Amino acid sequence: MNYVQLEKLGEGTYATVYKGRSRTTNEIVALKEIHLDAEEGTPSTAIREISLMKELKHINIVRLYDVIHTETKLVLIFEFCDRDLKKYMDTHGDRGALDSVTVRSFMYQLLRGTAFCHENRVLHRDLKPQNLLINRKGELKLGDFGLARAFGVPVNTFSNEVVTLWYRAPDVLLGSRTYSTSIDVWSCGCIFAEMISGVPIFRGRDNHDQLLHIMRIIGTPDERLLRKIASEAAPSGDGQAAAAKQFPRYPKIPFQQILPKASPQAIDLLERLLQFDPAKRISAADALKHPYFTSSAMVYPVPPTGTMAPPTYFPTPLQHPHQQHAAQQHDAQAAHAHAQAQAHAAYIAQQQGYNAAAQQPVYPMQGQPQPQQAQSQFVTYHGSGQAPAR
Amino acid sequence: MSTSLYPLASLEQIEKSPSRQDGIPAELEEDLRAFGCKLIHQAGVLLKQKQVAVATAQILFQRFWFVTSMKQFGIGDVGMGALYLASKLEECPLRMRDLINVYDLLLQRTAHTLSSQTASSSHHKPDFKYSPMSYFGNTFYDLKDALVVAEMQILKRLGFQVNVVLPYGTLVNYLRVLGLADREEVSSRAWGYLNDALQAPVYALYQVPTIVSAAILLATRHLGISLPTTPPWWELFDAEWEDIWSVCGYIMRLYRNRTQKDQLLVLGMVTKQSVRQWLEDNPPAS
Ligand SMILES: Nc1ncnc2c1ncn2[C@@H]1O[C@H](COP(=O)(O)OP(=O)(O)O)[C@@H](O)[C@H]1O
Ligand SMILES: [Mg+2]
Repeated sequence: MNYVQLEKLGEGTYATVYKGRSRTTNEIVALKEIHLDAEEGTPSTAIREISLMKELKHINIVRLYDVIHTETKLVLIFEFCDRDLKKYMDTHGDRGALDSVTVRSFMYQLLRGTAFCHENRVLHRDLKPQNLLINRKGELKLGDFGLARAFGVPVNTFSNEVVTLWYRAPDVLLGSRTYSTSIDVWSCGCIFAEMISGVPIFRGRDNHDQLLHIMRIIGTPDERLLRKIASEAAPSGDGQAAAAKQFPRYPKIPFQQILPKASPQAIDLLERLLQFDPAKRISAADALKHPYFTSSAMVYPVPPTGTMAPPTYFPTPLQHPHQQHAAQQHDAQAAHAHAQAQAHAAYIAQQQGYNAAAQQPVYPMQGQPQPQQAQSQFVTYHGSGQAPAR
Repeated sequence: MSTSLYPLASLEQIEKSPSRQDGIPAELEEDLRAFGCKLIHQAGVLLKQKQVAVATAQILFQRFWFVTSMKQFGIGDVGMGALYLASKLEECPLRMRDLINVYDLLLQRTAHTLSSQTASSSHHKPDFKYSPMSYFGNTFYDLKDALVVAEMQILKRLGFQVNVVLPYGTLVNYLRVLGLADREEVSSRAWGYLNDALQAPVYALYQVPTIVSAAILLATRHLGISLPTTPPWWELFDAEWEDIWSVCGYIMRLYRNRTQKDQLLVLGMVTKQSVRQWLEDNPPAS
């Protein structure tokens, strides 16, 4: 392998991540090792992560440089980050809580990365502090796309494993069969509250307990909403539909009471992110335009003392020209995919019984022709995405 | 030139596919591709797999042969790997054991058809009887190994570009635009052409709008329905006549008559070993 393996950086749900150094350039990278299982072949988490991240290029998304595929394992070579947000809060926070400037910067970057995913029709589905990485420049990047997927029509739930319990949206907890970008937005809200206070906001022990924790703070929603969500639940879904009827009626507690340190604008944004009704939840793109980020009321802070540079570049994003271009391209694609998705949904409504949930395209292929026998490979299948000559 | 949303084969790959470079004639390659897709379809039916996963598998299978020769990998193994992979992608994963059993059955049945058809006519032709394999025998382990390798090779050689767009939603949309949405016979016929087209390489060669336009063209011609020509209806969908015509050609070729000899030849070339044997017996004229 072209990399020297250094110390272990972390262990996740299905992989071990090491620090690595390129033998040719000396560049420091992160090596994510995934063992191939004789019983299930290449893990679907790895397939999703690679196929989606390869083309998902944004400052707030960890960059996947390369993939090494051997007989026994897959090694994903990622841009190196200093640590994940969980460890950052443990080491830099005041009992976990971050100062308001850092919170605002991280929140902006988190929403920007999330909005970029959504624009490109990718759901992350597992946003939590352990999956957000922070580098020395104070940049926050979304990582671990092992549960992500491309979407066109609403995506079917395939397992309850999606999204770690504490960051899981109430509609998913209630067994909602289809979900969309709003589930990532809920997770962003949970992370926001956690950065402000230093502790996870909803810490349930199991599915039902998690719902109770949520309702004790944001209040039990009215019957109509619960019934609406339950009606979208999978018929087989662990009797969730029945459970939906038996919740105690908790009143809403103002967030200000739970997060006394938060500014009114922060509270207002949190309110919009943590809406019980997925249809009412703000989109990541709209959240970026919230006064919490755009108002000038916030004074620029004195850089915090410490080894790490303070978060820098928010809230006016400067895009590199090529990124801008990519973003435009993606917009066009998203529009196209959207049109198709609509047609598709209409079709499904019309032809009952056919189970087509067409996977939507995500990216054009980018050519990086390499000899087929090359160890490390991206794309031997042709690349420019041209239509064949006519 | 519009950018595509999913990978398409390049001109060189079309003109000289890896199999053709190894001396497999174009027609034979087409037949082997189609047969591999039929096996995927049959396996999907037996496993009651979702149609989206089956169609995705067929498209990945077709793409694969633009980067790999049938001398290197057999259509049986790659089809099995493609269905396994597509089922993961569509979040309806299959159990390895179930898939292997079904492929074993399909391959045994193919071998049976082959031997009973080639046996001399005086011979008694017994009906096909499936003999299940033992999980401890070599067949199971060999197939399992082949499955894991095939899945990995598809991923590797396609550079993990496994996005697939299916055409059905677009068809419904276009029929509505053309005012044919409630013409049952048009939609079901066009739908059928789209499904049959999965056995041809078209989804690896053309954009979905072009393929859907071709299916509508074939369906309406067949039913004698005329569509606006000034301006031509397909221009609404950004499709070009030559491309549509070429897709129609690929689809119609699927229905051409084959001699029994040709049919048997294909049945006997499911594995890479048999392809190699055939190439030895039929060296390409240089
Ligand atoms: N690029 C990276 N730079 C630094 N640390 C990383 C990087 N990627 C992952 N890690 C560390 O490894 C842990 C596990 O990685 P992750 O991608 O989340 O794996 P899993 O999918 O198994 O959960 C993360 O929580 C983080 O601490
Ligand atoms: Mg993780």
